[in-house]
Amino acid sequence: MRRLACVMMVLVVLGVLGCQPKTVDNPDTGPIAIPGGGETTDAAPPAGEQYSIAIVPKGTTHSFWKTVRAGAEAACAEAGAEALWKGPTDETDVARQIAIIENFITSEVDALVMAACDAKALIPKVKQALEAGIPVITIDSGISSDDALSFVATDNVEGARLVGAKLGELIGGEGKVGCIPFIKGAATSDMREEGFIKGIEEFSGIELVSTLYSQGDIEEAMKATENMLTANPDLKGIFAANEPGVIGAARVIEQRDLADQVVLVGFDAAEAEIEGLESGVIQALAVQNPYQMGYLGVQAAIDAIEGADVEKRIDTGVVIVTPENLQDDDVQTLLNPDLGEE
Amino acid sequence: MSDGVQDPETTGPWAWAARAARLIMGKAAPALGLVLLFIYFGATTDRFLSPNNQIATTVQIAVVALLAIGETFVIVSGGIDLSVGSVLALSGVVTALLLSEDHFNQPVIVGVAAGIGVGALCGLINGLLVTKAKLPPFIVTLGMMGICRGFAKIPTDGQTIAGLPDAFNALGADRIFGNTIPIPIVILAVVALVSFFVLRYTRLGRYCYAMGSNWEAARLSGVNVNAHMTAVFVICGTLAGLAGVVQTARLGIGQPTGGIAYELDSIAAAVIGGASLMGGIGTISGTMLGAFIMAELRNGCDLKNVSTHWQEVVIGAAIVFAVLLDRIRQK
Repeated sequence: MRRLACVMMVLVVLGVLGCQPKTVDNPDTGPIAIPGGGETTDAAPPAGEQYSIAIVPKGTTHSFWKTVRAGAEAACAEAGAEALWKGPTDETDVARQIAIIENFITSEVDALVMAACDAKALIPKVKQALEAGIPVITIDSGISSDDALSFVATDNVEGARLVGAKLGELIGGEGKVGCIPFIKGAATSDMREEGFIKGIEEFSGIELVSTLYSQGDIEEAMKATENMLTANPDLKGIFAANEPGVIGAARVIEQRDLADQVVLVGFDAAEAEIEGLESGVIQALAVQNPYQMGYLGVQAAIDAIEGADVEKRIDTGVVIVTPENLQDDDVQTLLNPDLGEE
Repeated sequence: MSDGVQDPETTGPWAWAARAARLIMGKAAPALGLVLLFIYFGATTDRFLSPNNQIATTVQIAVVALLAIGETFVIVSGGIDLSVGSVLALSGVVTALLLSEDHFNQPVIVGVAAGIGVGALCGLINGLLVTKAKLPPFIVTLGMMGICRGFAKIPTDGQTIAGLPDAFNALGADRIFGNTIPIPIVILAVVALVSFFVLRYTRLGRYCYAMGSNWEAARLSGVNVNAHMTAVFVICGTLAGLAGVVQTARLGIGQPTGGIAYELDSIAAAVIGGASLMGGIGTISGTMLGAFIMAELRNGCDLKNVSTHWQEVVIGAAIVFAVLLDRIRQK
């Protein structure tokens, strides 16, 4: 029995380790999560020296980050650089993101493109990377210091102001509204909250009665929406600041059959959100350009490696998508970027 | 474990192999696993073995390892503590609030002491509810998990707390002994050594094994089980408080949402290191090995750029595998 067990153990250990080399030949750099993995973008021949560029998102499961990844990998493929994509599973897992960045610094990558899980906690790591000679470009969510060479992102305040104004217009300029940001303290969340308030301030008849945080989680967003609607049965509009927030709010509005009474506007353009737009549960979406964040972020990183000047702030803009303009060509291109999928 | 049992193999020609196999299957398994990881990652990546990488990896695991040491005391005594991740967050928040220039702006020592004190207090409450009110540890600490998480979020509405003094942040980053060893590693080393000694050689430590092996027998033999079990929870809470302070210093912010699922990581470290959730079995050295196995796996996978999702699979498999090994050994 013991001999058998011993042999078994050795086999299992070898089995576990044996899986790994496969991942080496075929690192997890495929364009967007293709079930079964496999596709890689390192097909382009390296032009001279091949740079390895680490891209660290805040999370890895939202389609937003998958689009960032597609953009980043496209830029890497064009430049013949290697894209190393890794982030924490959970957007609040600051400690894990720090560990990932430390490990990339250890790996001596040529550049770091990152979206900070926390605007303050990541500052020392950005500094550490720069001290190690690794240029750092922040995308989407920056840090609250001036250290990164460039910040490539949507102007979130302006985007949220636009969609807030749209909400005001849709509810006729008066009534109670609610706001569902994601995490208090996360720069993007705070800016969108601020922008939304600016947007509705243009209408004197609109009152913001409730602000509940979704923690970037659909389940939490549903709870927030339910509580908001229970506390304010006469609520006329909701702004949700990101994908899980919008999806959660839409689900509740749909379940309670309130689409005629509550106007839902929000950010991002996940498939479920576009469906909501088509079915009339969602009335407007501020759509950022995550593809451009990945793409321009990597381009800025490559410029920085090669010693070229990099602009300190690169705006990737938003488009307000409504059921009316959904089928327009430019909107469709934005919503369905070429993700490199076969 | 079963040294007294006669086995025909110990006298036959397979004696040596059987003994070696038993060692491999037994206490040496976690150490062997760690060695295999070092060989594998050392051979397949350039920088895995570099001192700087190993130092960074140790800092990365220090917080969870501190929790896991406390958890080991509780698990060996036959209990479980699910609240450590939340206690860590609450302690960190208390420390950050006291130290932040935006809030109370107190001296560093006050914040550190309060953070550790909050952890000890949570442990004391856990311990008293388990021993005096006779509630199951699982339920008590599950409740405490929610209570501490909520309290951690209340002061700032879930927002992170910044503005911590450099002197405090140095605890999480600065290196001492000729600028070589980061302070979190020194803290971990001291705590691990003291805990190793306490669990192995002191009366409290031996009572932990006694209580975990057979609570009634321990009680009937005159062990003051209530007092000692309470002490065990206080140790665990205190270490969670300390871990919260270290985490806060490392992040440079107080994070009310920090430490989520760390209780599971710490339990996993103890289990990979050979602790039994049935109580009575487990060592600090085993737990440290377990914590390092998890850290080296994550680090090695990061260096090889294995996706985070696959890492979760690998670490999950390691936990099941460790227990499977344990089960086979006991047959």
